[in-house]
Amino acid sequence: MIWMSWRQFRAQAIAGVLVLGALAAYLVITGLDIRAAREGYTAQCQATGDCAAAMLRLVGDYRTRLLLLAGVLGLVPVLIGMFWGAPLIARELEEGTHRLAWNQSVTRRRWLAVRLGTVILAAMLLAAAAGTLLSWAASPVDAIAGDRFGTVNFGARALSPIGQAAFATVLGAVTGLFLRRTLPAMAGTGLLVLVVLFVMPNAIRPHLMPARHETRPMTVEAIDAAHGLGTLGSAPVLKGIEIPGVWVTSVSELLTADGRPLDPKIFDDCLMRAPKTGATGTFGDSSVCLAARDLHLDIAYQPNERFWTFQCLETALYLLLTALVGALALWRIRHTSR
Amino acid sequence: MAKSHAVLRASALDKRYGRRSALSGVDLDVPARRIIGLVGPNGAGKSTLLQLACGLIEPSAGTLTVLGARPAAGAAHLARVGFVAQDAPVYGGLTVADHLRMGARMNPGWDDALARHRIGQAGLPLTQRAGRLSGGQRAQLALTLAAAKRPELLILDEPAAALDPLARDGFLRGLLESVAELGAAAILSSHLLADVERVCDYLIVLAGGRVRLAGDVRELCANHGAPLEDLVLTSLREASS
Repeated sequence: MIWMSWRQFRAQAIAGVLVLGALAAYLVITGLDIRAAREGYTAQCQATGDCAAAMLRLVGDYRTRLLLLAGVLGLVPVLIGMFWGAPLIARELEEGTHRLAWNQSVTRRRWLAVRLGTVILAAMLLAAAAGTLLSWAASPVDAIAGDRFGTVNFGARALSPIGQAAFATVLGAVTGLFLRRTLPAMAGTGLLVLVVLFVMPNAIRPHLMPARHETRPMTVEAIDAAHGLGTLGSAPVLKGIEIPGVWVTSVSELLTADGRPLDPKIFDDCLMRAPKTGATGTFGDSSVCLAARDLHLDIAYQPNERFWTFQCLETALYLLLTALVGALALWRIRHTSR
Repeated sequence: MAKSHAVLRASALDKRYGRRSALSGVDLDVPARRIIGLVGPNGAGKSTLLQLACGLIEPSAGTLTVLGARPAAGAAHLARVGFVAQDAPVYGGLTVADHLRMGARMNPGWDDALARHRIGQAGLPLTQRAGRLSGGQRAQLALTLAAAKRPELLILDEPAAALDPLARDGFLRGLLESVAELGAAAILSSHLLADVERVCDYLIVLAGGRVRLAGDVRELCANHGAPLEDLVLTSLREASS
């Protein structure tokens, strides 16, 4: 049964390895490039003594390329789901070969378990290779940039891709089991995996561990450091709050000293009709007007040192989902007819 | 159910696809015979009955036992039944040799000598991709896969339907040889009465999802005093009126 699973998967596996090979070559080149650039900058800055600025330039040089690479690698689970997962059962049902396979002396469940196991294992290996290579290539930049929890960056590095690949495979297989046709199954799988890859970082990842909280008093400087002042719905908010070295998961609206939301009317008055003080910050008199109200923000965040804990938690969650959907497939295939 | 010698036993067997009924109220008790023929017009429920018998689909109601157990009850039971599905599905991208290897890997009772003998006799090139075989060759490959697991019962769903007369003759000859070699029983569906008459010694006539006639071919002919063809045609006419 293992031989058969491999024989049926061989062509797809080779195609996958070829694609990964091309990506891997580019990742290695990029990684070596970054290291050479780091050496160059280090040599330069040791002469001038300002190494912090030089390292920031290094980050600036490679941030976009690494983000693009992470974006491309982030789509690997989508491709795995579509090209490895979806046809696994759908093609058999579509071409009628399940009638041959399921009448060998192997129960359907074992047949599916071994076939699915083979492809899941290959998918995890492929994703591990891609994730590890990117982590290695980007490590000099990651060490300085401090953007460990970036939506795209986090998902394409370390362990998470392994969980994503396993889940995408089983999701594809089950989609094929229900849709029974290869092309619709591939399209459906692509869509489902994309939804999962969107929901995970935006709706689930922030809550994998209880966030830490910080109360930030709204001084003139603090307000001027924001990217924007505005309203979300009718609630007055500060946009673009950043804390170095952490992942800000949520920022409250502007709160008064007793913890209540700021009256939008007062906010509007400060924005439109602030008393002239001659302040020269980003928001000028408005900042002074708001600061006088003794406001604060409640900021929830995940510190960067939780990176590996989060990687483990997210991967475990993906593997749990893989097991659940796999169990669904094993249950369902017993009662699949025709 | 007590251990029985019946090849196939059905009681009040129903199979519905949504609202459409494919089989209804089928009662059968087919004794161990050499070759059982299942005839009836297209859409009579022949395929449905055979797919139920090999466990590919499940009954909507009623019970069915094959060789004394629920169809496809487990790996051991799967090993006892060989099935050649309609239009003999094979993996188009795999070679003939790959198929034999699959058979060997997936069936503990695999008889590789038998398989290679049959493949040689049918003149199938081992390195040929199954997708490039002719209809007759594909049917031979499918029959070989089913036979070489040395089942006690071979189930064949319209195996010769798409074949030209020469290929059909070769296929049926191969089937008879295999059954003799294995000492197995076989159930064979066909809408060609001539095929059935040639190889079968037990007959089931299906029409409109119901059994119209079932029995030993010689007994049926003797009891009714008519040739098999007249007998079948009469029962089918009764069914459609």
